[in-house]
Amino acid sequence: MRVLHLQINGDAVEVAAPEHWTLLEVLRYTLGLTGSKQGCDKGDCGACTVLVDGRPMLSCLMLGALAEGREITTIEGLMPAWRQAGGEGADPVQEAFDRCGALQCGFCQPGMLLSARALLNEKPCPSRAEIRDALAGNLCRCTGYTQIVQAVELSIAEATGAEPESPAWAPGENPWKEAERAGLARGKGKG
Amino acid sequence: MAARDNHGIDAPWKGGFQVIGKAHRKSDGLAKATGQAIYADDLQLPGMLHAKILRSPYAHAEIRSIDASKALALEGVHAVITGADLPIQYGVIPWTPDENALALHKVRFIGDEVAAVAAVDEDTANAAVKLIEVEYELLHAYQDPAEALVRTEPQVHEEIRGKAVKGNISKRVELQFGDLKAAFEEADAVVEDEYFFHGTTHTPIEPHCAVAQFTPDGVLTLWSATQITHYVQRALSRVLEHPESQIRVVQPCLGGAFGGKSDPFSLEFIVSKLAMITDRPVKCLWTREEVFYAHRGRHPMRMHYRTGATKDGRLTGVDAKILIDGGSYSSFGLVTTYYSGQLLTGPYDFPSYRFDSTRVFTNKPPCGPKRGHGSVQPRFAFEVQLDQLAQKLALDPIELRRRNFQGENTKTVNGQRVTSNGFLSCLDAVEEASTWKARRGKLPFGRGLGVAGSMYISGTNYPVYPNDMPQAGIQLKVDRSGLVTVFTGGNDIGQGSNSMVRYIVAEELGLDPYDVRVVAADTDLCPVDLGAYSSRVTFMVGNATIDACRKLRETVVAAVAAEWEVPAAQVWMGLGEVFDVEQRDRRISTREAFHLAEARSDTLGATGSYNTPKLGGDYRGGTIGASPAYSFTAHVVEVDVDTETGRITVSDCWVAHDCGRALNPMLVAGQMEGSAYMGIAEALMEEHDINRFGLHQGPSLLDYRIPTSIDTPELHALIVESLDPEGPYGAKEAGEGPLHPSIPAISNAVFDAVGIRLTHLPFTPGKVLKALDEQDTAAPRTAGGRPASRPHVAEEHNA
Amino acid sequence: MLRLPKFQVVTPKTVEAAVAVLAEHGERAIVVAGGTDLVPNMKHELFTPDVVVSLASIEALHGIRRDAEGGLRIGAMTPLDEVARNPEVTASAPALAQAASLIAGPQLRRMGTLGGNVMLDTRCQWYNQTYFWRQALGFCLKKDGTVCHVVAGGKKCVAAASNDSAPALMTLDATLAFAGPDGTREVPIDAIWHTDGIWNKKVARGEILTEIHIPARATEHRGAYGKLRDRGSIDFPLLGVAVRIDLGPSGQVEDADVVLVALQARPIRVKKAAEILRGSTPGSEAFEDAARECAAAAEKQCRPMPNVPGDPDYRHRMVPVYVRRTVVAAGSSSGPIHHV
Repeated sequence: MRVLHLQINGDAVEVAAPEHWTLLEVLRYTLGLTGSKQGCDKGDCGACTVLVDGRPMLSCLMLGALAEGREITTIEGLMPAWRQAGGEGADPVQEAFDRCGALQCGFCQPGMLLSARALLNEKPCPSRAEIRDALAGNLCRCTGYTQIVQAVELSIAEATGAEPESPAWAPGENPWKEAERAGLARGKGKG
Repeated sequence: MAARDNHGIDAPWKGGFQVIGKAHRKSDGLAKATGQAIYADDLQLPGMLHAKILRSPYAHAEIRSIDASKALALEGVHAVITGADLPIQYGVIPWTPDENALALHKVRFIGDEVAAVAAVDEDTANAAVKLIEVEYELLHAYQDPAEALVRTEPQVHEEIRGKAVKGNISKRVELQFGDLKAAFEEADAVVEDEYFFHGTTHTPIEPHCAVAQFTPDGVLTLWSATQITHYVQRALSRVLEHPESQIRVVQPCLGGAFGGKSDPFSLEFIVSKLAMITDRPVKCLWTREEVFYAHRGRHPMRMHYRTGATKDGRLTGVDAKILIDGGSYSSFGLVTTYYSGQLLTGPYDFPSYRFDSTRVFTNKPPCGPKRGHGSVQPRFAFEVQLDQLAQKLALDPIELRRRNFQGENTKTVNGQRVTSNGFLSCLDAVEEASTWKARRGKLPFGRGLGVAGSMYISGTNYPVYPNDMPQAGIQLKVDRSGLVTVFTGGNDIGQGSNSMVRYIVAEELGLDPYDVRVVAADTDLCPVDLGAYSSRVTFMVGNATIDACRKLRETVVAAVAAEWEVPAAQVWMGLGEVFDVEQRDRRISTREAFHLAEARSDTLGATGSYNTPKLGGDYRGGTIGASPAYSFTAHVVEVDVDTETGRITVSDCWVAHDCGRALNPMLVAGQMEGSAYMGIAEALMEEHDINRFGLHQGPSLLDYRIPTSIDTPELHALIVESLDPEGPYGAKEAGEGPLHPSIPAISNAVFDAVGIRLTHLPFTPGKVLKALDEQDTAAPRTAGGRPASRPHVAEEHNA
Repeated sequence: MLRLPKFQVVTPKTVEAAVAVLAEHGERAIVVAGGTDLVPNMKHELFTPDVVVSLASIEALHGIRRDAEGGLRIGAMTPLDEVARNPEVTASAPALAQAASLIAGPQLRRMGTLGGNVMLDTRCQWYNQTYFWRQALGFCLKKDGTVCHVVAGGKKCVAAASNDSAPALMTLDATLAFAGPDGTREVPIDAIWHTDGIWNKKVARGEILTEIHIPARATEHRGAYGKLRDRGSIDFPLLGVAVRIDLGPSGQVEDADVVLVALQARPIRVKKAAEILRGSTPGSEAFEDAARECAAAAEKQCRPMPNVPGDPDYRHRMVPVYVRRTVVAAGSSSGPIHHV
């Protein structure tokens, strides 16, 4: 057992965990931060991606003991950080994933979203090829990545005030805008 | 069919749809995006133990003895169980229960479960597993299905459900329709070829996980990553010999399935038994390796097809012989064997058809239902065969398909009823979007376009266990706050079925979707739905939802009409209000209307259900593959073939799919894109196979290569709506059909690109090079790059 | 979840302290850099140390700098993605930058280090598997067993060197600095290889790789890396090719080097590469011919085995294709050669 002093989602956390536990196990099974997922056991799928000092890394390969002194952001931290910064709703990337249908089973998406968030923090207007490259360590089995890429592009378009591109399945209309106009796109009582 | 099952294709209120047809968010989207959604492994119960499983290192062996004493003696170990503790067999198909949660007398593949340990933590459980001593006596192991077909000793299974197994044959189906002999006599052109479809597996990113709790009142609760809550409840009751009424099965949020979680799985019985023994909650989370052993993925098939056509391209007959490698257990194999033939009979019309399919047992991880169950493999063979036929007859491959279109409201050669059929529109859509006419056959050497079509079921009318009760049930509960809670047994596996239910209730009752909440897949709370398989949920649960809503709406409208003293027909519900259609300023909120109705009648609620009409051909097995509605798909794929490396790169895939009506086009598109991606992955990269030792060749997400974002082409989802008369508002399935054509379309595109026919999957670069070498030997390429042998004119006609 | 075996984690702050810890625990200790290879290997019970010595807290091992002679000095703990993007590296050692940019996937390049990749364990389809799997197999020569499943009757392990950075560094005449109980030493990277898949490096347990030194080159230098793998990301190489070309004042090749990896236990140098390419000018027909000749020489020299996944005959066939394409890419500074 080792007492770890971790910085997680802005909180200083003290937690005791066995030395051979990975950061993912510490997050999920001692801290109850179950948003980070486990898919492959050993660094092949990216579902466990967290931000370490702002950069996407795999918590299933990082020993908990080596996370000391580093700033960890998990999927649970994105929305509160956005709200604290004065934003409404969830982080715009999270909102875009929801609005574009990118969340099917949702299991890979915590990792995918953090990779997408880090990309946009580093480069606000990446090309489609750069988006695909940045997400190439996060396996998704449901979407064929199409709606994921669309979601990232939607958040870029909105951040820059550009017109979001209309998808193939909605010829001649722009569903992203329409969904918002209909007022049915978000839960009641949410900002 | 009961009248209650047909609701028509129109919006419930005149003035059109308010919710249906729009790109609404999913009901659980933000919960998933923020990490709040709870999946099975996210559950932690007080005092919970962890289970680990000892697996067989041998492919085929008798178990001589098991000694668990050292494991039991390890500190922290609470229980060890073996096959003797769970001797009753099960299987998802009631006729073939050949599985034990833990091997009873013999093991049948490397990875078969032998014993299980419950301990205070995973490390202790793992340590205990290593202390269990098992003595085996080895048996001959079957790797090759061709051997299993002819060799009868030893048997992988001696008997199933008291009935002797014939050799190693799991199931044989031979059916013939029409006059095949005449068909081939009248054919001007015949193509005949061998095709091979390899094994692939589902690979949901979430591994299987189950948590069981047994409370002092005798109630067993199981939370499991399953697609079939209801069947799991039944199977648990049977195997544990515990009353079904005292078993509750709950499906938490599910991290993908694709058919890989639609059998009852050993870990569900194991954690349940261990919880009952230890009086502690028990969790088992499989490693990724264990998920590969559980498998139930796509059956490898060796297929021989012969197809005849007249010179104007009309199909005269199809003759198929298929050998199916079933792996070590039956799973859905009985159905797979039927589906391998039964689901080929659309969207094309052919007057005669024969198929002879045999599924054999081998000592490999068991195969089962993967997205497009049983029909993806024959579809591959047949659609390549159609391309060969088009080549032979010098017809455009799209034109050949058009000429054989079976039409709407028709019957297939094997007696299946087809209602709506938008296949021609699908062909038109992909032809136009891909600029096929301008480019097919005209692209530079190395680049090509290919087309393929397909058909799939929207559920079947045959439940997995025979009964006359509805296939899907719905319950509505109205709260005085204005909230409507819907209870459905339907399993949302990520496809969005809970959202679909929400949209329908909002549409029917004129509510904001956020005033509808869905409780799903909990056997204590929800009426039965048979589960998320066979693409049945939207069609059946959707219809049941409309059914329940119409009953509730009748009560509410009647109460308001009485209050206002107007005819009920004058009272409409929409946008959160109930109003008098003749006098628009007379309106109350839906919430007030609910209060009125509750005061005038009773506690508000309603039930609804759906059952299929009686369908199917009038012969043994004729109901297998019978569906209340069929979906249709066409793909055009564009490929680039590097003739030096043999690598095929798919740049674009245009997917046109007839889903009847898109209840939410964004979610339909997601299913189409995900299906096409999965098909392309199977064609180019994935391979689930064993090596020469009978071991899985690479049971990890490193070695089983599923495509990343940069390996996936641009996918263009083109939705076609044929408005089926029996689907909910006309809807049909969208989650499985659009996988089928990807694979043959790639083969056909490679032919257009470089003139080789790929008939054996997967299309590895090595196979491409080999085919190119053979082509070079046969006829050197012309100066223009295209092979001289590239045929344009039919030469060889059948007499 | 696949679990790690139990161990203690030590995080020394200096190289000396790390060396001392390793000396203290001997065989029971193992060094971890980024952990992207060691952690899966420990989950597979290929390594079951009692003590894991992390180099992450040793500041001195991080960073890229130019030395007084114009060479590059890269701290062993510098992450691969930093190596891939660093302007000094992309300018002076393009083959290395390209190789680093193609290692595994994005997250793994942020965690994995250059030193870790140089010191990477060899890989084999019969070895990089779980304990259960290997037990069912009956284990293998490299770990826990006595039989080789790649070469029937083989007595020497042929697990493949799979580090993309190694061939690139070999073409660049890099030297490696090690710290050990007997002090520090610098050795040319060429000199560290054994043709033994069990442990393919002449580096003692207890030694720590501290720095990678790439000497300055007098002439105009060009380079490229080519990588064959199934997917565009994540996968280890099925074949890797590093190329260096030094051009003289007239633009002709003065010297060249071609090294391949993922074939056998150590990286393989194409012996005649310099001889064949010398004198030709990139972009010319003669250069293309020389590239082709070089490819043929590589094909002759290399014998891929079924050690890593994939068909060895296909990998063999790709040797000349990737060598030729990478040589041409080096000549025109248009690398890397990768299918996406």
